[in-house]
Amino acid sequence: MTTKLMGEKVRRVEDARLLRGEGRYVDDLAPGALEVAVLRSPHAHARIKGIDVDPVLDVEGVVAVYTYDDLSGPMAEPLPLLIPHPALTHGRTQYALAKDEVNYAGEAVAMVVAESRYVAEDAVALIRVDYEVLPPVVGIDAARRGERLVHEDVPGNVAARLEQGSGDAEAAIAAAPHRLSLDLTVERSASTPMEGRGTVARWDPDTKRLLVWSSTQTSTGVRAAVATKLGLGLGQVDVITPDVGGGFGVKIMHPWPEELLVPMAAMALGRPVKFTEDRREHFISSAHERGQVQHVDVGFDEDGRLLGLSVEFWHDNGAYTPYGLIVPIITSTQLLGPYKPRAYKVVFESLYTNTVIVTPYRGAGRPQGVYAMERTMDAIAAYLGKDRTEVRSVNFIQPDEFPYDHGMTFQDGRPLIYDSGDYPASLEKLKALVGWDEFESFRQEARGEGRRVGIGLACYVEGTGVGPYEGAHINVETTGKVKVAIGLTTQGQGHQTAFAQIVADELGVPFEDVEVTSGDTRRMPYAVGTFASRAAVMSGSAVALAARQTRTKALRIAAEALEAAEDDLEIVDGQIRVKGAPGTGIALGTVAVLSNPLRYAFDEASKLATQFVVGDPTKPPVAEDDEPGLEGKDFYSPERSTFANGMHAVIVETDPETAEIKILKYAVVHDCGNLINPMIVEGQIHGGVAQGVGGALYERMAYDANGQLLNASFMDFLMPYATEVPESIDIDHLETPSPLNPLGLKGAGEAGVIPSAAVFASAIEDAEGIPVRAMPISPSELFELRRTHQHEADQHEEQS
Amino acid sequence: MRIAGEATLQAPLEAVWDALLDPAVLVRTIPGCERLETVGENSYTMTVTVGVAAIRGTYAGACTITDLHPRESLKLKAEGAGAPGTIAADVDVRFSANDDGTTTLHYDAETVVGGMIGGVGQRMLSSVSRRLAGEFFLAIEKVLMGGPVPAAEAPAAEPPAAGVFTAPAKAAPVSSQREFLTGVAVGAGLVALGVALGAVAGRRR
Repeated sequence: MTTKLMGEKVRRVEDARLLRGEGRYVDDLAPGALEVAVLRSPHAHARIKGIDVDPVLDVEGVVAVYTYDDLSGPMAEPLPLLIPHPALTHGRTQYALAKDEVNYAGEAVAMVVAESRYVAEDAVALIRVDYEVLPPVVGIDAARRGERLVHEDVPGNVAARLEQGSGDAEAAIAAAPHRLSLDLTVERSASTPMEGRGTVARWDPDTKRLLVWSSTQTSTGVRAAVATKLGLGLGQVDVITPDVGGGFGVKIMHPWPEELLVPMAAMALGRPVKFTEDRREHFISSAHERGQVQHVDVGFDEDGRLLGLSVEFWHDNGAYTPYGLIVPIITSTQLLGPYKPRAYKVVFESLYTNTVIVTPYRGAGRPQGVYAMERTMDAIAAYLGKDRTEVRSVNFIQPDEFPYDHGMTFQDGRPLIYDSGDYPASLEKLKALVGWDEFESFRQEARGEGRRVGIGLACYVEGTGVGPYEGAHINVETTGKVKVAIGLTTQGQGHQTAFAQIVADELGVPFEDVEVTSGDTRRMPYAVGTFASRAAVMSGSAVALAARQTRTKALRIAAEALEAAEDDLEIVDGQIRVKGAPGTGIALGTVAVLSNPLRYAFDEASKLATQFVVGDPTKPPVAEDDEPGLEGKDFYSPERSTFANGMHAVIVETDPETAEIKILKYAVVHDCGNLINPMIVEGQIHGGVAQGVGGALYERMAYDANGQLLNASFMDFLMPYATEVPESIDIDHLETPSPLNPLGLKGAGEAGVIPSAAVFASAIEDAEGIPVRAMPISPSELFELRRTHQHEADQHEEQS
Repeated sequence: MRIAGEATLQAPLEAVWDALLDPAVLVRTIPGCERLETVGENSYTMTVTVGVAAIRGTYAGACTITDLHPRESLKLKAEGAGAPGTIAADVDVRFSANDDGTTTLHYDAETVVGGMIGGVGQRMLSSVSRRLAGEFFLAIEKVLMGGPVPAAEAPAAEPPAAGVFTAPAKAAPVSSQREFLTGVAVGAGLVALGVALGAVAGRRR
């Protein structure tokens, strides 16, 4: 019997190539292509009074220079607003090259195409732009005050205001025996993948076809955008996503100005053109996320049960809203976590500021929502003097309450209905894993040594695998090799391994015989993209469905050839045989030969399929309802998202003198339904936790009052090194399968990062005994917090 | 960001005033200043080349003077742009005579730095500014004491037009009060500007 691979720790087949430096990223492609450099606004807010490009044209090696005036047709229109929403009443998007006004430092103003990047950069430096500098709006407070406007025609800087809820939360809070209010803030951060953005385009003037390689999370999205903007038929454009050095959300945003300008230039110049973003450009012209200010009002009973929860938050969407309201909608809905407040109301305003745009970054609004809810849970526990796990427990949705309908609308426009989970079991596992009940004795022990330690926990529920669909195409070659194409892209998730596992199991072929291609619109033109922890759920399901189709066809052909009933056949190691009769069957490759009647023979295998050998001479070689080839193609389109969940706990030690924060233990209990490959899931969690540590303790976007990003380099923007990430992360899995898809899967890609700000705030607060209301927190901020708290305590003492 | 500082020059106010208000002197003493030109009432343009380590950049700038209080104080608004970035500065300059016959000059600049320097150079600005300001005042002092002033590398190819000062230049006679003020304003502006740009250059690799 073939060993079942689903659920096995199969080693990633892509790693040998990637680790040996044999990966091929956009910048590795098309050597000799013309290269572009982009002139970016040095001002956060300014009117463009004139652009003088004349000096550029004299530079040897410069091929072309573009400003807004050189754009025409759809290219001269604003970039698409990708995800419109009725509440987004004042959606605004930028132009591919700024027209009249710039709204963030870094906005693209002009582009030079030259023989090399060196020449292009030198030429960009010669462009003279006459700016009239306007006062910028920086930060949520300034945006809310509305004294200055980012866009003249957007009053109060409010792009959108959305209110949702169920029940009368305000009345419930008013009537509750206990009430609390919290004001919270979360800073900005960003995806910061190792590889920035990049695009190469090649126009074939003879066939009038455009081939684009882009470092994106959606090749089909980029393809449609390029075709629309350049006035080409979809069939004239192909987009390939080669190896991608990380996405983390920033590359689901599309089309970037350069993703359109590079193909446009390639068409105009008749030569391949390349754009490779540098690190500083990534900081100032790609997207950020996270920044929110939140106000929570909560009413609860003696047990800490949420009777009414009312949340208002202000979301900094940056200068434009190309990705709609996805991030704040996710915050507002996923804030609920595993809990069931009796009444809930949430209202948010999405606000313009003169800063880089805000689009989803791994977690996509969930870290902020979880932070708001978990801070509230801890505040209730502190108020009632209860254990923090108890307060959470009484609010959990119970296992017998699924499917649980929150009565709200999720980010995909579908009802917010949780499909499965077992939160009490998860909490029990987490308590055991981190040693929750033993912590007090550890704290006493540490205190005796003059050490200060704290423990924190945070729970989350993550809507994963949003629609609308993904597809897979499977082709069995006559060699027996199985070629699989999925439409969404891959940027390090191990798709080639995980999906080959599914195909090997479903089709009964050796894992080594399966090859998976992703993100190539020539192989799978219908796809959505890799985001929202959806690849395993969406493409994994589609791959399973397509494999089942392929299997059905293989069995049908084999049954005819073997003169056996389909039901009596099985496929083992790529051989179709009568069940329990090894040695009787035919190879899947032979079935592939039989599936495709040929006129011409090229080798021994195809000789077997020519028209004098196969087929009933009284019937058409390919039946009316059949197709040649041993193939399967299917799409998976879920009714709604499936909801993964998890809980993190961390033990920290804070230095009583320096306020240095050290991680002593990190524990994760994770439920993403059935696991395809536990090793890959754990890798996702490790990476997520590392990124979460960065977001909770180190990273922020340091904008000054003028809208200049002061830390736009890895010298100044702090990312955790291996030394800052916990040495080991204890992981336990719970598997509550999703009833919504054929394999019972839930997404796992973002999980590791979602509860980070919340769990560290909880642990630091526990160590210090001081409420933590702003994250991330640095040692100097913690030091300051101690001083403020001490000062307030002293004043309080004086007064009493 | 705010760049503030003061310098005490070993000369009486009158002498400092005379030297400091002479554009022809300033063009030779301000680090990297190559050219400055009167383009309108209280309005000037200038060219500065600043380089630290491997990077040199030429920056085009302009400045405007307001709130003139002869020999006491003035305000100026300076702007400059070059490949590594942009800077705008609002500078208050005050002069005071000391009892020991020396003169103290106070400058207080609020600057907005944009472009690449904004992202990578800002935290270096104040220390580099002090160094560049120090160089400037040292050069002024040398002029006051009649010592040699380091000359710029090459004379202008064409004879400068009226109101244009290039380095090196013979000490031009001070022709009017306006030109005195021009010198002060442009000088102070350039200190702020050169300072910021120097910082940029220092950080770029």
